[in-house]
Amino acid sequence: MSRGLLTTTVGSFPKPDYLQRARNQYAAGRLSREELAELERRATREVIALQEDVGLDILVDGEMYRGDMVAYFAELLEGMAIGGLVRSYGNRYYHKPVVTGTIGWPGPMSLEMWRFAQNLTQKPVKGILTGPYTMVEWSFNDYYDDRREMILDMARAMRQEAVELDRAGARYIQIDEPALSTRLEDLDLAIEAMSIVTRGLRARTISHMCYGDFASAYPRFLDLPVQQFDMETANGGYDLADLFKARGFPEDRELAWGVIDVHNHLVETPEQVAAGIRKGLEVLPPERLYIDPDCGLKTRTAEEAAAKLRVMMEGVRRVRKEMGLEQ
Amino acid sequence: MVHVRGQNASVVTTVVGSYPKIPNRPRPARLRNAINRFDRGEITEAELHRVEDEVTIEVLEEQADAGLDLITDGQIRWEDEQTYLTRKLAGVSIDGLTRWFDTNMYYRQPVIEAPLAWREPITLQDYHFAVEHSSRPVKPVLTGPYTLARLSQNGAYDSLEGCVLALAEALNQEARALQQAGASFIQFNEPAILRHKEDLPLLRAASERLLQGVDAETALYLYFGDVAGIYPQVLELPFDLIGLDFVIGATNYELLRQSPFTKKLGLGLIDARNTKMERAEDIVDKIRIATEFVPLGCIHVSPSAGLEFLPREVAQAKLVRMVEGVRRAGEVLS
Repeated sequence: MSRGLLTTTVGSFPKPDYLQRARNQYAAGRLSREELAELERRATREVIALQEDVGLDILVDGEMYRGDMVAYFAELLEGMAIGGLVRSYGNRYYHKPVVTGTIGWPGPMSLEMWRFAQNLTQKPVKGILTGPYTMVEWSFNDYYDDRREMILDMARAMRQEAVELDRAGARYIQIDEPALSTRLEDLDLAIEAMSIVTRGLRARTISHMCYGDFASAYPRFLDLPVQQFDMETANGGYDLADLFKARGFPEDRELAWGVIDVHNHLVETPEQVAAGIRKGLEVLPPERLYIDPDCGLKTRTAEEAAAKLRVMMEGVRRVRKEMGLEQ
Repeated sequence: MVHVRGQNASVVTTVVGSYPKIPNRPRPARLRNAINRFDRGEITEAELHRVEDEVTIEVLEEQADAGLDLITDGQIRWEDEQTYLTRKLAGVSIDGLTRWFDTNMYYRQPVIEAPLAWREPITLQDYHFAVEHSSRPVKPVLTGPYTLARLSQNGAYDSLEGCVLALAEALNQEARALQQAGASFIQFNEPAILRHKEDLPLLRAASERLLQGVDAETALYLYFGDVAGIYPQVLELPFDLIGLDFVIGATNYELLRQSPFTKKLGLGLIDARNTKMERAEDIVDKIRIATEFVPLGCIHVSPSAGLEFLPREVAQAKLVRMVEGVRRAGEVLS
């Protein structure tokens, strides 16, 4: 493993066509749960193989068994259900989850596939959960009168899942809060909830956040109780580098630095990636700077995702060589 | 003036703009299917438009069936509240997806590449169609110039101000075209100002430009927040009715208590962003509070924002409940 600039991804990978078809067939009742699960395992093996082949340092299971980061857990959690269709953009709709009762942990939700993926590789596989704030913020609420109580109940449920991953030996646990960047006024609540999830875990904890006006919430957002902030930086023109350079970044924290724009079909050049990494290095030394794409890769095609990761690795190797981190 | 029907002649029941485009099973998602088929080249543009027309009629009828006094075409043809209005203007191209305020909905960001110009009516045909097929009065609803500018990339004007005023000029022509076609009530939505309250003077200048030569009754709806810091100054804006969000902006009740409300009030009291059903008695209570500031006859009751954040059936059920609450309020308060 390199002595710095460790590489990873945010979590999701594009689903292969055969899996997408199988998911539709399963939804229509034409495929059994076990037949679908077999294809999910096949796709997970392929995602692990791709990450090994590209040369990433910290892997993910690719979320082949999740449709959507909120709906997947909402289907399983006690006190949640899948609601009616709501438009997301253009002609795309999704079933928005609804809180219908007291939220509770139903037993392991992500452990099985994490374990399956970890058994396929010597490299660490991240456990990836959706954060309590985002789970609630992106769902309807038909039940709770008190929003804080709802978010904290969700935090307690997600904590039990995190503890399971921790006990099973996950070295990294990522608890994503993409909803937070649009509602930074709720930061205190999100921090309180996150502290319930991450308290006392042995694993290194990470939170992924989408692009937002972090300057206005500086330095308070750095109180989110995780060791690593995984930020969407390429898409924001690396303006976070300026913020952290001017006002500092805590010495006991790490950054995962997005150098690949996941919203764009165009594949970056290695030099663009290298330039993005150098921006990150102006903030943090390579031991505390992880390199990854801006966000989950599931919206890209399989070819685009693979091409983007290979270019990312090329850019990383270029900078590692410059710094003598790698021969 | 809007001619108000319905059992309660004093309060007007209405919506803020959008309506969910597709229903849930077992009802078929006709519009979604038609767009998919059009994208795959399986149906013609004319066939797609026919489905859009049919769904629009369905949505007009659903609003009327719920008992609303003043309705919209539901913006069924709109891909989002920016693209539909700006793409027919000269000088605009449409770019990638961006999150719409703090919702989990995305819109395509307009890019203003060259000086803007209004070339042709954008919503006029839609307005004609809705009026022709509606049993209730229809109001056209446009996204306001300030919000359009804020949610666009400005590559043509030196300042936000230049961009806002140019959009106001363009939308003024649209508003005048609607007025000429018989619209006696025209609404503009400006949620973005609540995120940038320091720009109220700019909104005022833009609104004056926007409404030049417009004699129809006009409304301005502000949602996703409260008017703290710009109240009572918002009352100086040249609209006849100001619509406010009393769900996310629940503090608006307190603000109104501090200074007299001198216009008609849009009372956005049904939560347009959550499925939890309001109780009729709570609606009555909220209307009672509002009558401390504004006479019943000057109130338009509505959801807090457009209804597209809700599943279709929930949206309709909420409208039914809203009308029921307003009816009860009429009995209790008049």
